[in-house]
Amino acid sequence: MSLTIPKTPAVLAALLKADYIVLWRNRRGNIMSVLMPLIIVFSWKGLIPQFGGAFVLANGITLGIIAIGLMGYANAVARDRDKGVFQRLRVSPLPLWTIMASRLVVQLSMILLLTIVVFVAGYQLDGILMPTAGYFVTFFVSLVGGALYLSLGQAIVGRIQSPETVNSTTRLIYLAFIMTGMLGQFDYFGVDFKRIVDWSPYGTVKTILAVSFEPAKWNLHATEALLLSIGYAIIFATLGIKWFKWGAK
Amino acid sequence: MGEVQQKNILQVEDLHVQYGQVQAVKNVSFYVEQGEIFGLLGPNGAGKTSTLSAIEGLIRQQSGTVTVAGYDTLKDSRHARAAMGVQLQSTSFQPELNVAEILELYAGIYGLSLNKQQLQALLNEINLSDAENKKFGQLSGGQQQRVSLAITTIHDPKLVLLDEPTSGLDPQSRRQLWSRIESIREKGNAVVLTTHSMEEAEAVCDRISIIDHGRIIATGTPQILIDKHRNDPDVIAVSRRGKITLEDVFIALTGSAIRA
Ligand SMILES: Nc1ncnc2c1ncn2[C@@H]1O[C@H](COP(=O)(O)OP(=O)(O)OP(=O)(O)O)[C@@H](O)[C@H]1O
Ligand SMILES: [Mg+2]
Repeated sequence: MSLTIPKTPAVLAALLKADYIVLWRNRRGNIMSVLMPLIIVFSWKGLIPQFGGAFVLANGITLGIIAIGLMGYANAVARDRDKGVFQRLRVSPLPLWTIMASRLVVQLSMILLLTIVVFVAGYQLDGILMPTAGYFVTFFVSLVGGALYLSLGQAIVGRIQSPETVNSTTRLIYLAFIMTGMLGQFDYFGVDFKRIVDWSPYGTVKTILAVSFEPAKWNLHATEALLLSIGYAIIFATLGIKWFKWGAK
Repeated sequence: MGEVQQKNILQVEDLHVQYGQVQAVKNVSFYVEQGEIFGLLGPNGAGKTSTLSAIEGLIRQQSGTVTVAGYDTLKDSRHARAAMGVQLQSTSFQPELNVAEILELYAGIYGLSLNKQQLQALLNEINLSDAENKKFGQLSGGQQQRVSLAITTIHDPKLVLLDEPTSGLDPQSRRQLWSRIESIREKGNAVVLTTHSMEEAEAVCDRISIIDHGRIIATGTPQILIDKHRNDPDVIAVSRRGKITLEDVFIALTGSAIRA
């Protein structure tokens, strides 16, 4: 009796197709992740002379990435786990990692879309134009930021089981990042607070994004922030995978 | 691989399943041959779903071995899972997907591709030819059941595991499902189903095991079990109108108390 196990690329293709359909059907909800960055790009126009265009775009993209990682990814995983979607997939012969890989790829492409939208909006609304190399480096760096926030999302659904609690937690963290991110930038709360924000997951991602628009200005601070971002991503991902349960019970 | 192994599509030996302190399955052993419909009967909380979950690989047994089509479910889990089709007690798919998309997804996961005609043929087979654009959640219970069974058998598995497949169905749908289950047997594949309906067990199962408090307490054809316990005082005491049914045997063996 010979039995063939389905080829992994074919399995991944089927999962990706389904996950992209789900993304498309939820497009109204997903637009919110892009809307907030656009509001920033639009309303922070006045800050450009003081802080520069890269600063404004970087903040916008950072907030978008946070929304995608926390709200787009974590909430969907929590919901599907609760409904038993994963258990049904798990009784088929697919390699388990393909279930999550497919979802992560879909969210990463959302992040690429987000950066493009912000680039275009930055040019159209604020007239921000960056060196061409900057756009490419920013693409890459926004994927690093995406990895950080997707793995933070993974850690949250690993730690918290109920979809309602995951939902409120991700919203709370998103709000907290918006507040600290904005206020922490401007020294209102003193140097110590600013330093904490700088080295927080918000600050490191914003720093590397801001520098990547102008790769010529890449410095030690940016390298440290990049390494720290990767470190955060590894820690969150490790915890998120370790804690994660596939089933509702 | 020996003769016996070939014939037994499913072999469960000395299975123990535990959740924390709760011992849900104790010392369970049974086999299912090809072309056989096997029923797992037991009160609520008896350990039916837990037994199936261990076979399916959703939970890891504390001890014991499970072999599906000759593959050990722990050592060769992907082969074992490729050989089985599973319908869980409660099935769910991403609510954004419609019926056609769900069928395509699962075909892909089993390495198959469905073209337009094949998809339409599959939908016709389950009398849902005009439902391809409906969401799973918009279907009636009976329609959901049919889609679910179509997915379970999409890769023509040697072993089909159905956890309470007929609960909530009207008599017509139930009969129709029985025929579908019998046609799986006709192809030489094996079926394990759980049910609370003694009528169903008598109507479709070739052999059954009664499980209670995580242990198998009786195994045999429905008729053999009835004949064997026909004269037990407990069975006679619960029987009605002088006729001994499988349900009388079941209640006598598992006790008449309602399970928490
Ligand atoms: N994830 C779990 N965690 C803890 N205990 C569990 C879990 N799943 C099942 N149990 C317990 O294990 C025992 C067997 O449950 P199981 O679901 O296997 O019963 P069942 O025979 O399928 O019942 P039903 O007919 O109600 O579906 C029960 O006591 C149940 O409470
Ligand atoms: Mg059950």
